[in-house]
Amino acid sequence: MSSATHITLSQIERYWIHRFGDKLLLWVYAKLFAVMLALFLCFPKQQRMSHNNGIGAAGKLRIVDHPEFPAHPFFAPGREFPVRIRHASATFLDDAMNCIRSMSIKLSDHHFKSPFDIEMNSGEVSLFWSAASFLKFARLRGEKYGIEYRDYNRKYPNGLAGSMAAGRRHATSFHNLHYYCKTPFLYMGSDNIKRYAKYRVIPADNEPESGKEENPSEWDQCNQRILPHETRGRNYLKYEYEDRIRREGARYRLQIQTHPASDNEDPEVFNNMIVWDEDAHPWQDLGIITIDRTLDWKESTLTTFSVNNMPKTLGVLPAKSIFDYNSLNYLRAHSELARKARMLSYKVYGMVPPIPDNDNRNVSDWGV
Amino acid sequence: MSKTKTSAEAAISSAPTDEASIREIIDKCKRETRIEYHYGDGFFKPRMRGINHLELGRSKIISSPITILIEWLYVQWKRVRDFFGDLGKRLFPREGRVWCDRVDSHLAGQTIFAGDRGDGAPIHHLHLEFWGRTWLGHWRKFGETKTDKEGYFRLPFDLRQARRLWVRRVYFEIQTTTRVYFHEGKPRFHFDVWRRVELPKGDLIGMDYNLRTIRLDFWRYREGAYTPRAKVNASGDEPEHYSQGRIDALMEQVIPIELTKIKHLDQIELDPGSLTIPEIQADYPMNLTTCIEKHLPGYTRGDEWFGERMMNGMNRGTFQPDAKKKGHYWIHYFGRCWYESNDVYALPDVDILFKLKKNGLPEPVEIHLTGKLNSHEHDPWKKRVYTPKDEPDWTYAKRVARVNGAFNTEVEEHFAGTHLNSEQFAVACYRNLKLNPVAALLMPHLKEVSLIDHAADKTLIGGYIAAATALTKEGLEQRTRDIMGMQDWKGWKPMTPISKAHSCAKAEALFWDVVGGYVDRFVEDWKDEIQKHWFEIYCFSEDLVNHAVPVAFTAPQDAPPKGAKWKALADRRFEYYCQQYSFDPTLERPVVNGERKAISRITAAKSFHEAGKEDWQNLKDACRYAIMMATYMHTWINEHQYDDLGEILYSCGGLRYGEKPEGIMAPESDYGIAPDLERSTQMLWFTNLLSRTEYGFITRNEEGDVNPHFAELLEAKREEFKSLGVDIDAIESRTNI
Repeated sequence: MSSATHITLSQIERYWIHRFGDKLLLWVYAKLFAVMLALFLCFPKQQRMSHNNGIGAAGKLRIVDHPEFPAHPFFAPGREFPVRIRHASATFLDDAMNCIRSMSIKLSDHHFKSPFDIEMNSGEVSLFWSAASFLKFARLRGEKYGIEYRDYNRKYPNGLAGSMAAGRRHATSFHNLHYYCKTPFLYMGSDNIKRYAKYRVIPADNEPESGKEENPSEWDQCNQRILPHETRGRNYLKYEYEDRIRREGARYRLQIQTHPASDNEDPEVFNNMIVWDEDAHPWQDLGIITIDRTLDWKESTLTTFSVNNMPKTLGVLPAKSIFDYNSLNYLRAHSELARKARMLSYKVYGMVPPIPDNDNRNVSDWGV
Repeated sequence: MSKTKTSAEAAISSAPTDEASIREIIDKCKRETRIEYHYGDGFFKPRMRGINHLELGRSKIISSPITILIEWLYVQWKRVRDFFGDLGKRLFPREGRVWCDRVDSHLAGQTIFAGDRGDGAPIHHLHLEFWGRTWLGHWRKFGETKTDKEGYFRLPFDLRQARRLWVRRVYFEIQTTTRVYFHEGKPRFHFDVWRRVELPKGDLIGMDYNLRTIRLDFWRYREGAYTPRAKVNASGDEPEHYSQGRIDALMEQVIPIELTKIKHLDQIELDPGSLTIPEIQADYPMNLTTCIEKHLPGYTRGDEWFGERMMNGMNRGTFQPDAKKKGHYWIHYFGRCWYESNDVYALPDVDILFKLKKNGLPEPVEIHLTGKLNSHEHDPWKKRVYTPKDEPDWTYAKRVARVNGAFNTEVEEHFAGTHLNSEQFAVACYRNLKLNPVAALLMPHLKEVSLIDHAADKTLIGGYIAAATALTKEGLEQRTRDIMGMQDWKGWKPMTPISKAHSCAKAEALFWDVVGGYVDRFVEDWKDEIQKHWFEIYCFSEDLVNHAVPVAFTAPQDAPPKGAKWKALADRRFEYYCQQYSFDPTLERPVVNGERKAISRITAAKSFHEAGKEDWQNLKDACRYAIMMATYMHTWINEHQYDDLGEILYSCGGLRYGEKPEGIMAPESDYGIAPDLERSTQMLWFTNLLSRTEYGFITRNEEGDVNPHFAELLEAKREEFKSLGVDIDAIESRTNI
């Protein structure tokens, strides 16, 4: 047998050993993470992983009549879905802090069941990019004194860039922010061509985005505390949103970017820290979301989103290891246990109270 | 008077008087006094640990048999440890292969020089490597890179390779060029790890891992120093290390004289009356003047020898033509001036007028002494003029002139002009030249000077000279700073010969030509690479200029005291130094923070295409100058120290005022003005140490670091040098003692 064949066999062996080992490790990490979340956070403290401070709302989504994106039966032109959304601030229970803002969408008017859920945050890039980086982020994250990401940001400049991109202070409304799902999903359209898709939501009326900080220093970015002499309350954004919906409602534009898959795909395509070139991957309108009512605190808290709620042809992409960029969604998909533990806690201990309007600022607990 | 002749009188009467015979005796003595040590190699012979253990008092000699035995055991333990270390390196070699399938991560950060007040400047072009070690001990290189011009780096690596389960630990290494050697005519750089940082493997999660700002004590300038100096730590071993060969050579040669010194110090402590200056002298190897005195009694105290040594001896005096008398020249040795001084030692200003003889050698005709000559006087401006008719004062005045000349030569020409001058180039070179081939041109000649200067701070400037001459440590530091304010590469040229007998100047010019040829060829051969990495030349130049001292006496803190006489003295010194150090005061010089710097800029351009017309030549001239100072100029004084400073009563660092009204104008038999016993033995120990414990010569090229072309050029001039009294095999390749 030639040495070349030896090498090939060895490489194949190593490939399978690595592949199996990596997969196993990913599965163990994901399961362990969910168990830990359930046991130490979601059940005893009745908390979500991060976005506890939010407000739910409901309305409908209408798919555009003349789509420019690749056809997909789920997103048939003119199709309408009932919709629930939830805007939230991570992680602190104080709207006036410099926080990441989010919008989660559920294509049903139910607190969990849905044919399609999507979770998005402000900022084009993220603070973490794989299961490994997310676990490191979770370990280094602090919550005391409104300084959350300092330790993480000092080690990981991309994380810092992500928090700079995502942080919003003094946003005038949840409505005028731009929200992105940064890690791509599968998109297998009517033509059976495999693609990857990213989604985003922007205000339908192109209202300018608010809350961005111009050229913050590293320290400014780490310091999420409310500014001195802050007059905005802990719930000002939620109140503004309630008022807005009551007054005029809210309309959003749901958009999609697609990228055709190839056999030798560069893994960086899945990297949520790399923005797809808009010339090659233009944002195309997917539908218009119209919101006409907000949900009360209880219903908002019960409303939960999951990346598992997706058609198979639009689902989570498979991940090979904890370093794989797709492992982030893999981790999300395997955290159902944590959600269920939180729901159970409501039954056992009762519903958590709304966030009070008091002077207990810069905190991530309810406080009194 | 007895009719029986004493041996001295007999020697005088039988001494030859013709020039040829005298020359033969001098040459014979030069050969005889070339000391070669034959230090035994017995097991219990005294030992010394290293150069940093040299002390002005008692150096750390290991002489007790028990200590020697323990030390031997320690050495054996070190050998075993080194053996296993070497075995480990052979079993687990660090191979060049980079384990990387796909770059998806980076180690990022910036390297800067540490500063005691905030951050220092960025360190460009540092070589960085990222290594892992498996559980079985194998090394794996994951990536390498270099810092950019601003010190930033992004070292690429494959995350999966670094995070493999069988990789136990990962290390980030900062490497730097520590040595240059030549192989087949081409320079090779040797990298050593400057700092190794173990990274938590679990922190590697992809994308960039920020090592942030890494402050390195890398060739740091010593804060608060009078002149540009490298910061050397307490152990005296950083930022570079002596080569083992250098340490071995010194140890081999210094221990016998160290034992002699220790014996004297013990005797002085226990029973000072049992030791005399002649006995101290006799315990040390014979030097040139004592040898000549043996054959030609009184000759070395005569005018002929005085003139010859002032011209071609250690002092290599600077002859300034007399404005009125043709064929007459002045040599000036400045005294204590306005520097902080003590009241034990005399140091008047000395002005010597010479007349050139037919054979081209100078003959002293007048000696002017200005300042205190005894402890009773207080007028620093009192002047006395002596001529050969004024015997015996004429003989005393010549001794005063020799002593002052030796002091000036040691402190100004030797320590400031070569040691400190070379060090300012060394620090700038090691800090900045990494990829540029000019590193290979300069490093072999500038290495180890920072270490020996550090040792000199303690033993010489802060030790012997401060205790054996008129100036205090503070005064010496200020004086060396002022002399450094006269050192510039631009426009420098060797001494102009004033006669056919001025062999010192001729040899200097000959060597200057050799260095010029060598530098020109090297720079032209490596033109493309030098121009490509011109940024390093720019940084080298900036460091040189920014850290250089101001032109002598121009900065407020260096100015002479107020008063017309002090100003006149300062002007006189400045004018003389301009000739002595070939310093062109009319040149436009860079001004930094309001200080007009002594060193000229090589280039102001960061890239070669922006460089000025003169910059290419400037680079050649600066390199040529640095090599000249570090090699030949230092060698000359070092080589001749024991010849001219190896006899206590002939010359020394300083004469004491003594108790008598005549002060220093007294015969050699008055030991009250000679150095005391302790200073006497220390002086001979020092001059032996400096002159005779050399290692690192151009032609011998012990460490393979000298460009063979340089040695070839020198070899081609061997006979010419020989005819001028210079042995090219004795020219040092670096200033390391």
